[in-house]
Parts: sequence; structure tokens; C-alpha cells
Amino acid sequence: MFHNSEALERYVSELHVPVLVSNETPLISNLNMVENIALIEEVHCNKSIADAEKKAYGMLQSVGLQEIAYKRVATCNAAEILYVMLLRALMMQTDTIYMKLPHTITVGFKEIRTIINEVQKLMGEKKLFILDLKINAVHYEGCACSIVK
Amino acid sequence: MWLLGAFEKIGASVIGLYEALYEVLHFTFVCLIHALNPKSYNPAMVSVLVRQIYFTAVEIIPLFMILAILFGSVIVGVVLWLAMNYSLQNEIGAILVTFVVDEFAPFFTALLISLRSGAAINTEIAVMRVNNELNTLKTFNIDVIDYLFLPRIIAGILSMIFLSFLFAILMLLSGYIFTFLFLNFDFYSYTHMIISDLDMRDFVILLLKSLAFGFVTMLIPLYSGLKTQKSYTAIPVSVLHGMVKLFIAIFMIEVVSLLVQLL
Repeated sequence: MFHNSEALERYVSELHVPVLVSNETPLISNLNMVENIALIEEVHCNKSIADAEKKAYGMLQSVGLQEIAYKRVATCNAAEILYVMLLRALMMQTDTIYMKLPHTITVGFKEIRTIINEVQKLMGEKKLFILDLKINAVHYEGCACSIVK
Repeated sequence: MWLLGAFEKIGASVIGLYEALYEVLHFTFVCLIHALNPKSYNPAMVSVLVRQIYFTAVEIIPLFMILAILFGSVIVGVVLWLAMNYSLQNEIGAILVTFVVDEFAPFFTALLISLRSGAAINTEIAVMRVNNELNTLKTFNIDVIDYLFLPRIIAGILSMIFLSFLFAILMLLSGYIFTFLFLNFDFYSYTHMIISDLDMRDFVILLLKSLAFGFVTMLIPLYSGLKTQKSYTAIPVSVLHGMVKLFIAIFMIEVVSLLVQLL
């Protein structure tokens, strides 16, 4: 948790890993949700389209969002978009996932806690860190992730 | 004083032009390097390539064929009528081949593809830039050139070559309609007249012009979209500028090819 946004941005600039989930890394608008998630392994692991999309669809199914699989960004709500952004980040070959200011992606901290707790089931050995301001700290109590202070 | 100001403006414009030309040439060189790197070709890139070929070349085929047949019958008819009026009956084959295969087919195909695909690509890239989606690709270590630009450039070149050849064939075949109705040519005489005046030079000209047109038809809209200011109101401005630059490039290629053929 940071006192102000300048301190947060300074921390982000000093990180050696990119912040994968933020409003500066939106979903690709000309791809559907499955394609957005599958894109990562198609590029980095050379996985075939069919295999990557099958895995992506499976991930959406495990959080109960298979109905948005073939929808595009414009037809999904903010909570669904945050789910897909987190699932997309999980596809990266990294042990640590940083999420910056999640309330700028979706409204409602209760929603954010629910989404994080749901996605936590798929995280395995990966760790999720939230970067947010101190005034929002109370909203993350009971959240199944680490909060950077 | 005003003269000095005028010279300054001219100088600044020339410098700006050279800088823009250098940037485009540098961008072209980078794209070519990526095209030659086997690692650029992953499943996502191939998927974009296939989709772009479908949108650029396959979807347009019905309209394209209608235009080729309409233009073919009318324009070939006009060319033949002029040839008859100026007692050039013996040169009809050579005139048709030069006009249709060397000039009209690649030029018209370039205009059609640039209007349809060029504008769409410029808009798509401009929207991605404004929405920060290019930053998403960069953050996730997805090379923008490999994923966005290269498949579109390759698709543009392949589509242009295929459609130019198709246009030339259809235009020449539909030209037979006029020759049959007004000149009583039989099909064998007409095709023999065309084939006897076709040589490898015409195929090479058609291929090289299609290659050049296909390259710029994709490169310029991509580059223009990439340079869009980060505001939604800048998108139509970017598309307008991109299309103007593209048409100028198409005309320049045509002029250069005519000059080279005259040498």
C-alpha cells in the first residue's frame, strides 16, 4: 500500500517484472475472451490455436464464465474483464503477478475480493500482489493475496 | 524578410520530408528483418495472416470479379475502337496486353485494396494505439511487428499478386464480349492474339508492381495508425492522412514503373 500515486508509480518503475493487470494493459478489443487468454501461450510456447484455446476455455469454465468465452470486450462487464485479465496474466511464465489499482478496472472492492478468491484456485505456485493506495487497504482485508506495503 | 521566412519554411518542409522518408525506410528495413527471422512465425501470427488474407483477398472476390468483367468489356471495347479508328488492328494484342496486364490490372487492384483494407487497417491500429492495447502487447512481451504488422504486410503482398493476376485474366476474357459483338472475333483468334503478344516481361512487370503495391498498401496504413495521437478524435485524422500518403505512394510507384519501362 502506498501513500500516494507517485510513490506507487516509482515502485512500479523499479520493478524488474511488468505489471500484468492494470488499466494500462487492457484486453485486445478485436479478439474474444478465449483468444485474449490463449494469445500468450500461442506466442510464447508456440502452442497451436486449438490447444491454447482449449486451455483458455477450461480456465473460464473453472471460474464459471464459459458463457463469455466467445464474447468481445465491448459486450462484457467490468468484473468479467477483470477475471479475463487475471486469467491472461496466469498464462505468463512468471511466478509473480502484479495487479495495479484493480478498482480502476472494475467498480466495487467486494467484487475484486470475490474475483481474486476465485482465481486463487488456479494460481498454483504463482503469487498475486496487489499495488494500491493506503486509503484502500481496509477493502482488501480477508483477501487471498499479498498486498505490497 | 518575407523571402527569408519563405525559404525557412521550404527548408523545414524538405527536412521534414527527408526525416519522414528515413523513418519509413527504417520501419521497412525492420519489418524485412523480422520477415526473414523464423522465430517471427508463431501460431498467433499465422492466424492473423490467414484472417488478413481472407479479409483482403477472399471476401472481395465477388465484387472484384464483377468490376473486372464490367471494366474489361467496356475498357477493352474502347481500346479496340480506338485501335480500329487509327488503323492499328495489327497491334490490338500488344495494346491490350500492355494496357491491361502491365498497367490497369495492378493499378486498379491497388486502389481497390487500399480503399478497403488500407483504411480498415489504419483504423484498427489507430484504435489499438488510443486504447493502449499496443502497451498490452509490449507488457506481455508480444512483439508488435511480428504479431500485428508482419502478417498484414505478407497478406497484402500475396493478396495483391493473386488479385492482380485474377483481374488481368478476367478483364482480358470479358474483353472478348466486345470483340465478339462488334468485331466478330472468334474465341480462338482472340485468345491467340492475346497469348502471342504476352511474354515473360509482362508477367515480371505485373508481379513486381503487385509486390510493390501490396507492400505499401499495408505498410503506410500500419505506420500511420502507429503514429496516431492518443485521442479518439485523432483516429479519423490518422486514417485521412494515411490514405492520402498511400494514394500518393501508389501514383509514385506507377510513375516510376512507367519511366523504368520507357528506359
